[in-house]
Amino acid sequence: MKRYPTGVEALRCVSLDVEVGEFFGLLGPNGAGKSTLIHCATGLAQPTAGTIRIFGHDAIVDYGDARQAVGLAPQEPNLDWFLTVEETLDYHAGYFGMPKRERRARAAELLETFSLVEKRNERTRTLSGGMKRRLILARALMHRPRLLILDEPTAGVDIELRLELWHYVKRINQEGTTILLTTHYLEEAEQLCDKIAFINQGEIVAQGSSAELSAKYGVANLEDAYLALVGRKELSRSRAEVEELAS
Amino acid sequence: MSAAQIRFFTLSRREVNRFLKIKKQTVGAPLLETFLYISVFGAALGSRIDQLHGIDYVVFVIPGLIMMAWAINAFSNNSSSILQQKFQGAIQDQLSSPASPLELLLAFSLGGFMRGLVVAVLTFTAASFLVDLPVEHILVLIPGLFLVGFFFAQLGVLIGVRAEQFDDVAMAQTFVLQPLIFLGGVFYSAALLPEPFETLTHFNPVYYMIALVRYGFLGYAEANVALSLLFLTLATAALFAVNLRLFSRGYKLRA
Repeated sequence: MKRYPTGVEALRCVSLDVEVGEFFGLLGPNGAGKSTLIHCATGLAQPTAGTIRIFGHDAIVDYGDARQAVGLAPQEPNLDWFLTVEETLDYHAGYFGMPKRERRARAAELLETFSLVEKRNERTRTLSGGMKRRLILARALMHRPRLLILDEPTAGVDIELRLELWHYVKRINQEGTTILLTTHYLEEAEQLCDKIAFINQGEIVAQGSSAELSAKYGVANLEDAYLALVGRKELSRSRAEVEELAS
Repeated sequence: MSAAQIRFFTLSRREVNRFLKIKKQTVGAPLLETFLYISVFGAALGSRIDQLHGIDYVVFVIPGLIMMAWAINAFSNNSSSILQQKFQGAIQDQLSSPASPLELLLAFSLGGFMRGLVVAVLTFTAASFLVDLPVEHILVLIPGLFLVGFFFAQLGVLIGVRAEQFDDVAMAQTFVLQPLIFLGGVFYSAALLPEPFETLTHFNPVYYMIALVRYGFLGYAEANVALSLLFLTLATAALFAVNLRLFSRGYKLRA
């Protein structure tokens, strides 16, 4: 549970299990508590009550081991303006205790993977939005986390980069990295996630595969299940199509 | 190096590199400012004042200027660095790492401490070329200056963590810190002040810091050296304890 000093309860009785190796999606409207949940898991927010365990390590008591296992790509680009692209990767890995030689090799590998080699000596504030997104993901992966948390990773990026990022995260999931993804793009969740949870007003209201959620809400697809969740069934595109055909 | 050592070294390196990347502003400007103080108060006005307590006026003010340079730079570096990182959100990278509150606090403190040290050493070196600056009690001077540097580094961290806008930092520096330093006796001896100002000066903590550093350089003690050292040690330890508690609680750092 997370209650802010203002009295707002951002998370209420959230109980969620993400299996090792899973690609897990967390969906919900703005302000539902997605980012708060992620921040509680990574030490950026402190839960008011309850426990979070990451690969068996308590995120509060045993925070060192818990955070070591997590790579976070946050929603807002939070890059350090004073650092270059390569320094951003190097410093991050240093914060996670990675030796210099290993840092250099890993940074070279990720710069290549994310097409950032030419930008390696540029200050982060000069990068385009898409480049910043790439760098944030590369930074999250620098210390080889077992759990990668992606908080709306494709918000505001072009189609090409979105597909590139999908391709990459799918690959690292297949290589064994557990992934927790929050997104507003239902297509993204359907394409990538093994399991999806709906969060609304600080509570997990449903979870399962895309098909299971559709069945639970008695609708045709994940989008309609989502609209049922937020009480906006009238916006359903599939229902509109059916009605159009019927008339 | 162990993982913890690499982590602490990297956290500290980030803080030191930040000020070195903008050294014109963080090192050059304070050096010029100190040089201007020496020129105006030492060379121009000093020729009229002659001596204070048997010491040339320009020599009398330099220890205070060195202390002031270290103090203000340690403070402003840390308060600005932390507030900037909070604004950008970049501090989340350190906060979501396995670093402990103690590691984070020490690393954030070290940036300002090192910047103050660089400016103070360069000021001392430049002053030594201009005037004959003695070092009478190095065993008081070194711990005295280090404690002053660490105290103001801690104060900078405290203000940076508490601040929500740049105005908060400017407020602390302009309306609290600088008056305390200027009125603590950098440019004069408190003994020359009329009452009640002489007595009032004794309530200014910076007065004891300046007295300590001046004693270390010149051998002239305006306040009790042992008590000043003890007071400064206790004040620094208390401030460090407050900061460590704030970092452990995540005050204004973690939601």
